[in-house]
Amino acid sequence: MAELEIRGVTVKHGGITAVKDASIYAERGEIIGLIGADGAGKSSLMHAAAGVIRFDGEVSFGGTSFGSPREAERLKPKIGLMPQGIGLVLYKNLTVSEHLSFFSKIRGLKEDAALNDYKHRLLKMAGLERFTERPAGKLSGGMMQKLSLICTLIHRPSLLILDEPTTGVDPLSRLELWKILEEIRESEGTVTLMSTAYMQEAEKMDRVYLFDSGTIIASGTAEELNETVKGYVYEPVACRSDRCIAAGHYTYSLDPLKTPHKEPTLEALFFINALKRGVEIPEIVVSERESEEPIPQVVMEAKGLTKRFGDFVADDHIDMDLKSGEILGLLGANGAGKTTFIKMLLGLYPIDDGELVLLGKPIRSAEDRLGLKARIGYVSQHFSLYKDMTVRENLLYFASMHGIDAKKASSRIDRYAKELGFTSYMDSLPTELPLGINQRFSVAAALLHEPVVLFLDEPTSGVDAIARSQFWQMLKLLKRKWGIAILITTHYMSEAEYCDRVVLLKEGRKVADDSVENLYKKHPAAKSFEEIFLHYYEDGR
Amino acid sequence: MIGTFFALVAKELIGFFRSWGLVAIVLYSFTLDIYITGAGIEMQAKNIAVGYVDETGGGMSGKILSRLHMPEFQKPVMFTSREALSRSIYNREIMVGLIFESDFEKKLKRYGRTSIEMLLDSIAATQSFQALQYLQNILLDYADIGIPVELKIHKLFNPNATTSQFMAMAEMLSVITLLGVILTAVVFVREKENGTWDIMLLMPIDPKLIILAKSFSQVLVIMGGVVIATGIVLFGVFDVPLNGSIAAFFLLSFFYAFTSAGIGLFVAAVSKSMLQVAQLSILIMMPLIFLSGAWTPIHAMHPLLQKLSLISPLRYYIEGSESIFFRGTDFADLWSYFGGVIVLGSVLYFYGFRKIGRLF
Repeated sequence: MAELEIRGVTVKHGGITAVKDASIYAERGEIIGLIGADGAGKSSLMHAAAGVIRFDGEVSFGGTSFGSPREAERLKPKIGLMPQGIGLVLYKNLTVSEHLSFFSKIRGLKEDAALNDYKHRLLKMAGLERFTERPAGKLSGGMMQKLSLICTLIHRPSLLILDEPTTGVDPLSRLELWKILEEIRESEGTVTLMSTAYMQEAEKMDRVYLFDSGTIIASGTAEELNETVKGYVYEPVACRSDRCIAAGHYTYSLDPLKTPHKEPTLEALFFINALKRGVEIPEIVVSERESEEPIPQVVMEAKGLTKRFGDFVADDHIDMDLKSGEILGLLGANGAGKTTFIKMLLGLYPIDDGELVLLGKPIRSAEDRLGLKARIGYVSQHFSLYKDMTVRENLLYFASMHGIDAKKASSRIDRYAKELGFTSYMDSLPTELPLGINQRFSVAAALLHEPVVLFLDEPTSGVDAIARSQFWQMLKLLKRKWGIAILITTHYMSEAEYCDRVVLLKEGRKVADDSVENLYKKHPAAKSFEEIFLHYYEDGR
Repeated sequence: MIGTFFALVAKELIGFFRSWGLVAIVLYSFTLDIYITGAGIEMQAKNIAVGYVDETGGGMSGKILSRLHMPEFQKPVMFTSREALSRSIYNREIMVGLIFESDFEKKLKRYGRTSIEMLLDSIAATQSFQALQYLQNILLDYADIGIPVELKIHKLFNPNATTSQFMAMAEMLSVITLLGVILTAVVFVREKENGTWDIMLLMPIDPKLIILAKSFSQVLVIMGGVVIATGIVLFGVFDVPLNGSIAAFFLLSFFYAFTSAGIGLFVAAVSKSMLQVAQLSILIMMPLIFLSGAWTPIHAMHPLLQKLSLISPLRYYIEGSESIFFRGTDFADLWSYFGGVIVLGSVLYFYGFRKIGRLF
């Protein structure tokens, strides 16, 4: 019997089944990965395994099994759970060393030399020994996650459950987090169950489980899994049928194609699974814009834009320009200053220093922006639309805000719904939509007035692989058919591939600004964008 | 412009009617809450427990005791000793205790005057002192004091002198104040909480129009509540008289709803979450309601508080409504109440408008 065995676990939240009949096992010292989109059931399963929510089925660890949170109580001293969200378990006014002593006290650990040694070891692993007196609120996102991890490790749990510990963390800190995990499993034989949004991390795991809408669709090592879909993955080629789909740099087909095969990534599994199950994937179409308003060559020019919050500099003298017909990716970890920058461009935050020219107009006061609002489209983080109005009502509302007459508005809305594939959701509330639909509908709302520039703040976070590829397809079509400029922020370094040009922010400063080809030319040894950006992070240290 | 205004108002009304929690709170406040206040807050002496110790052996004392009956008094309970009676009062079983000493009747016969000892639980001060007054009236009937004056009393405006009608009306006006503030603040703070605030700011629309439309939508909700509460609770349940013009009352309410919306705008400007809205609203509302005369007659307040009550818009609203319902004051003579509500309302609304306008 394996050290950890999860057998037939089903989790329901209200009437909704979050996880259906999931089974997972892990041997001593293994790192097991859970992969899938937001809402696929990873967190629910991990919470069940940690014994903090009710579930059907059985979990056994080290020979002790439980079927309810109450029965799990006696295993709790052996379990360490780190919930999702950066710095969620931390108290921002407590220092690093106060955190360690707080967590050892609530775990009831004996304050002896051994604990002291262990604390020092943890601090050293996390690279935090120089910052023991710094309050958690003043640490960077990466340091916060490392601190959260060592706080979770303080009682030497033999089962470690980590919910997306690396999401939104910079690539270097991510490597360091992994180093801690590797060291702990070597020395303590800890079983680690972790979810991740980064496919690359799956390669370092002993086994991964792929989640799709509550069920595990595949499991094995990354290599084994890739092997199973190898025959279906091809170089990009146009194709469109129920058994074939072109997505980004790949084409997936159940029937043999004449095009050469391509080395698959784990994302391929989601596509092949969808094709095999006959899931309908709407084709994204974008038609020409109705407006004949010319689009200026240079849409945005920023010189030395700076934003300070107290003595914290969120954006430090950033220069950037944006041209029409260009997709510019603004990349960086959480807290690097991406959202702040977009908010300065939009006038949601006052600019502390620097010059900004938007659509040919120098911006010095709020009045300068008045006429520009009608020409800018913006999708905010988490697709914030009105939760108590249906999709159609939301879109009609936005259209009337932009003074589009009712007849024109409703025909345009119907067209967008058809082209972007959300017609069947028109009378649903935004909270009832799958994340991918919500994402495209939010963009539709921002496009109703046919803007000449589109600002998108983290639109791909947590969205499943298929919806993500459709999203990028949509942006590419918008760029081609409309010729507008698109500025998009993301913390997935790998998405840089889809952009024409990328700007990398690190702790409020711009560290790279170049076209995608040039970046590859400058770093011929790098296999992926992840590695290219790692260079910039390491250089800055 | 007008189209945009109504689109904004419609959006807020849809939002309101789809959040059933909010609808439930508003409906509750405008019906049950007013009913409970009107029916439940009883200032009159009723059903009072009386105990007595009679050392005289009956006669005069029996006659007096027989006058204590329902609905004001329960049947008096006999105690054998003064200690037992005291203990009972201490234990809250008895509210009024009467002690007839053994020489009570003897004194009366010999000197023409005598005394009864009385113990009062004056924690419920109003009730126990009203009981005292009743007792004094009963005793007066027996004591022929020989003053040739009889009081002829006319109870004006509220002939049965019931407090429930006034309490229900005052509670309705307090509800309008509180909900006016909270609902208005909520329509703004909900956008902050849901992250739609930024989207709203980026609409190519004059912020003034947004603020105006948003607060107007909630004034409409409040007015709906006023109609329900006046029709069902005030007229239907409590039979509040209507001696003046109902139109005047609704007009006054409309202006007042904007006044409390103005406070709501201020609350919305300084709060980031619904929790803060709730906390701040209560904090601001309490003095406003205390100073309005809803709970304490203004002439009974400390002189300083009396002056302060002049700046509570609720004071004018309550006095105005009272005049319309009970006194039947002519529309032309209501100008001072309208004036008070409109002047204070404009100041508050303008201030709130400016305050939230700065966030746009």
